[in-house]
Amino acid sequence: MTDRTREGVDAHALASSGSAPSHTVMAARARALGVWYYAETVLRGMRAYFWPIMLYAAGQPVLYMVAMGIGLGTLVDSGAGSVGGVDYLTFVAPALLVSTVVMSVSGEMTYPVMSGFKWQRLYYGPAASALEPGQIALGHLVAVVIRFVVQSLIFWAVMLVFGATTAPWWQSWLVVPVGVLTATAFGAPLQAYASTLTDEGFQFSFIQRFVVMPMFLFAGTFFPLSAMPTYLHWIGWVSPVWHGTELARLASYGAPLSPTMLAVHLGFLVLCTVAGLLLAVRSYTRRLHS
Amino acid sequence: MSLRALSSGNVRAVLERGFTVIKNQNWMILVSGFFEPVFYLVAMGVGMGGLVGQVEGPGGQPTTYAAYIAPALLATSAMNGAIYDSTWNVFFKLRFAKLYQAMLQTSLGPLDVALGEILMALFRGFIYALGFLGVLAVMGLVTSWWALAMVPVAVLVAFGFAALGMGITSYMTSFQQMDLINFALLPMFLFSATLYPISVYPDPIQWVVMAMPLWHAVELMRQLSVGYLTGMTLVHVGYFLVMTAAGLWLTTVRLRRLFLR
Repeated sequence: MTDRTREGVDAHALASSGSAPSHTVMAARARALGVWYYAETVLRGMRAYFWPIMLYAAGQPVLYMVAMGIGLGTLVDSGAGSVGGVDYLTFVAPALLVSTVVMSVSGEMTYPVMSGFKWQRLYYGPAASALEPGQIALGHLVAVVIRFVVQSLIFWAVMLVFGATTAPWWQSWLVVPVGVLTATAFGAPLQAYASTLTDEGFQFSFIQRFVVMPMFLFAGTFFPLSAMPTYLHWIGWVSPVWHGTELARLASYGAPLSPTMLAVHLGFLVLCTVAGLLLAVRSYTRRLHS
Repeated sequence: MSLRALSSGNVRAVLERGFTVIKNQNWMILVSGFFEPVFYLVAMGVGMGGLVGQVEGPGGQPTTYAAYIAPALLATSAMNGAIYDSTWNVFFKLRFAKLYQAMLQTSLGPLDVALGEILMALFRGFIYALGFLGVLAVMGLVTSWWALAMVPVAVLVAFGFAALGMGITSYMTSFQQMDLINFALLPMFLFSATLYPISVYPDPIQWVVMAMPLWHAVELMRQLSVGYLTGMTLVHVGYFLVMTAAGLWLTTVRLRRLFLR
């Protein structure tokens, strides 16, 4: 093997040519831009799964819209008539966007995080360089967020094709940032938790079964919280999915939402994201610099 | 090829290993799988039920939405349990743990291994079906003695999926290929008349749905749940008998080809 990288840059020649930046300069750059450097690494890793990810991103919304929006919608529209003043497809579509993104983030922030520490030990190389553990944590999340921007955009496009939004496009596009924010509100705390685990057991399966699944089913995705008995409403209140869904409904079809509740939903999601990030940075630092 | 070349009649050894693993390691995961259909039933039955109202059950009699989807969720959980055991589990043992290679070094034949693994998947299906039927009874959703037949039928459904699933898994070599299984399962779950009647689709799509195994399982369970049996009941049962036989044949042939060359 030579030192040629895939782009055909001869690292040796570059280093001895004198035109490569000095170690101090490169380290300073890594310190300044470390988050993006690490995000790039993760994104390059995702290239191996590019087509499955795209197939998933495009196929899932279509399937859910047809099955839940149109199929189940036929039952609802002939039963209750309308939900929250709109037909069922319009009601469920923005919620499905939020839910599917959250389900994807639960895949990205569990086993891959453990893999970074344990199986592939991807985190340790960068941690031995000028990169700070916090930048690695943040970089991983940024890469995942970029994936979800694409995934949410595709979902929004599918919604437009199905005529599932009634708001004009310059309002309904806001479902994209809402979806991404909800993903970080759930993904960042999950990343923090996953980074504390040293041994894989049943934890991730349990999160899938007892957190993600109930959130999908009980947090106002398929029916308003008010359709459930009052003692179950708390599941919605503590779920990022419900807060995100309410915002997405406002963006998608102008569902009624008081300014106070708007602030509450946004505040909850931002708070979860920031708290999750702080915890993740602390946990990564503890584990990579010990 | 005679049966003796494929089997030493010692399936018990494979089962014994399976139960030891459950006892020592993953009984919590196994037990927690039971909650998934129950969550679906509560959320969809109670929450959606309020929006949907009454629907048309087998034979045209009106039923509550919860009673309508319950048998479908039982069929789905039998499928999911069997598919998980016979695909991801088998894939790991086949490609990473090299467990079957080790087993076939002993007196065990490929049919022993195939049957043993499939019986483990059936055990899981049986446990889930029993638990789920209990939940249905408590929620007052059981109206016929025929519902008791849902337990053995769940095992038959699991048998069909497990046998075929293991055969198909033997062709898989990478995790990305394994993802294809999820790509096949999600639409099957969504479109097999699980959450709403098949009649919402145009005819050509209905034919596609009717070709898929889960639809037959759902219809069969739904008929049993109210004790409304017709000629179609036999067709549904026949579908799974054929699927089971075909799956067993495929799995045995594949294991022989992979290991006994």
